[in-house]
Amino acid sequence: MASLACRVFRIKDPFLRVTHGLTATASSATVTLTTDGFMPVAQFVRTIKSSTWFDEHLTEDSAKFMRREVFEDFKQMTAEKLNPLKDEPWPRHEWEEGSRRVGLIAVKLGMMPIWTKSGERHVVTMLQVKECNVVKHLSKEEHDGVRPALLVGGKNCSPFQKSEEAVELFRNAGVPPKQKLSTFRVTENALIKPGTPLYAAHFRPGQYVDVTAKTIGKGFQGVMKRWGFKGQPATHGQTKTHRRPGALGPGGDPAKVWKGKKMPGQMGNRFKTELGLKVWRVNNRFNILYVHGSVPGHRNCLVKVQDTTLPQWAAQAKSLPFPTYFRDGDDVLAEDLYDDDMIQYAPQEEEATAA
Amino acid sequence: MAACTRRAAEVLCSFRTFRQIQHQNERFISTSLTHHAVTGDGQPPKFTPPPKPVIVDKTKYDAPQRRFLSPEFIVPRSRTSGLKFIAERRDMIKRRKTLNIPEFYVGSILAVTMKDPYASGNVNRFVGICTQRSGSGLGATFILRNIIDGQGVEICYELYNPRVQAIEVLKLEKRLDDNLMYLRDALPEYSTFDFNMKPVPHNPSADVPINTVKVRMKPKPWSKRWERPKFNVQGIRFDLCLTPEQMQHAQKWAQPWQEFDMLKHHDTEHLKEAILKEVEAKLRK
Repeated sequence: MASLACRVFRIKDPFLRVTHGLTATASSATVTLTTDGFMPVAQFVRTIKSSTWFDEHLTEDSAKFMRREVFEDFKQMTAEKLNPLKDEPWPRHEWEEGSRRVGLIAVKLGMMPIWTKSGERHVVTMLQVKECNVVKHLSKEEHDGVRPALLVGGKNCSPFQKSEEAVELFRNAGVPPKQKLSTFRVTENALIKPGTPLYAAHFRPGQYVDVTAKTIGKGFQGVMKRWGFKGQPATHGQTKTHRRPGALGPGGDPAKVWKGKKMPGQMGNRFKTELGLKVWRVNNRFNILYVHGSVPGHRNCLVKVQDTTLPQWAAQAKSLPFPTYFRDGDDVLAEDLYDDDMIQYAPQEEEATAA
Repeated sequence: MAACTRRAAEVLCSFRTFRQIQHQNERFISTSLTHHAVTGDGQPPKFTPPPKPVIVDKTKYDAPQRRFLSPEFIVPRSRTSGLKFIAERRDMIKRRKTLNIPEFYVGSILAVTMKDPYASGNVNRFVGICTQRSGSGLGATFILRNIIDGQGVEICYELYNPRVQAIEVLKLEKRLDDNLMYLRDALPEYSTFDFNMKPVPHNPSADVPINTVKVRMKPKPWSKRWERPKFNVQGIRFDLCLTPEQMQHAQKWAQPWQEFDMLKHHDTEHLKEAILKEVEAKLRK
């Protein structure tokens, strides 16, 4: 919604005269009051800049042309990033104890069942790693003074809705503007050059990951839905007391309500992290991660996936591609990587011939 | 009893073959006689070899086979990215290459053989009528119902569960309804099936036969009020269990405007055709 504000300008000001000339042609809402020597102009001016749309003053053909050109640009940019003749990559370091890798941004596709070799059924969430690139490197000083960080972007979007500074950030990295940008704290030896594409094979089957996303908003909810309180009976003499929280705590001794008391309030629509989800399968063709169980957020939302911080899975880091999986490297991966426990419908060699 | 009928059938069969031999002899004699009559000069007739018998295999049909797309392939209308369904379909086709999942409908009688660590021989076979098909994609399920030792048993099978070893269709047919959950409240004879049932042959090119049987119900109360319009049940003899007043009263819950709700119309014909083409091409490979 464009907010309109009424402003009064003095037309004597040469700078404003120019702007007035421009707006008068564009908008019919301009009212000019003429008095001798003093010409105040009452007009409606759009004050929120972000709600403009790029094709406001373009013809339909021009807007279409712009969209097509931008799409072509994106394709070219992506192809250049994958070109083997691109400039020198940053030096790669070996994994050490305590190293922390970058993560990915993925789109939540939905859920499906899998079966293990012992015959159990599990459900997995499919996360598609879509157009994920490293966008910027923040050195230790720029970030928080403790650790450097990498900005990672996922899922291309229109540059027309973004501010000039935001587009500049992506232009420096040589990648199309991204819908979602996240910061990953990494160690010095895990730094990756901005612009590097990241793939689902960054994670391997059998490893455990943390997934962060914004949960589905439920609005302002009472204690029964928000915290699972029992409420009160429907009948037996209850008056106006069916879904209320009841007592808030002891009376005279603390003489206060303890901090953190579960009460009604906004439910959902906040960032939440699911810790220690197992990766069952990685599809390298469509870049899909099959992650155990459910993941916060709605369908098609963008989630942040990284190696788990749980200490019990700290040993897994040794066997993972460090600092990330580079597709132009020597190791060619199969189309699907499966966990050892998971049942595959077709044996690996058959699949390789089909692909 | 069975032995007796088999004996009778054998006897009948031998009669028939005997008659055929007789017929052939007659024809042979008669043709040679006419031949003699035509030539008439005392020369022995020229030998003409009998026509080569044409063996017709009645289990094979010339007509093109009926094309069928399993309902779990049809993509539900939603905002989910199409890639999810593409990836899932690839897995489903892979599974179908190793396990033959036949065409079947609600109302068909199936036998499912499943790996079961607690059964003797680690294999469990169950026969029953398919009362419901649900789910889409890899999680698709169907329910089989049978009555064993007077106790109704329903088992929900997952189509793509790797523990399923074989699915065979013993009798391919449809019923008047797409959901036969009302068999729970019907007389037990309608959901009792023999485990040793022989598969009934069916024609793969003709339309699937529709069994128009209408079931008689147990007295009320039922698990659901099947007379309500939302179930739209055709296969129940309501005239035996409900009065016309009760049937009229059930119409109170009718929502006749729903069928005109254009937002609920979802024409899947084009979608079906495209998916069927893809699945057929990949399964043939």
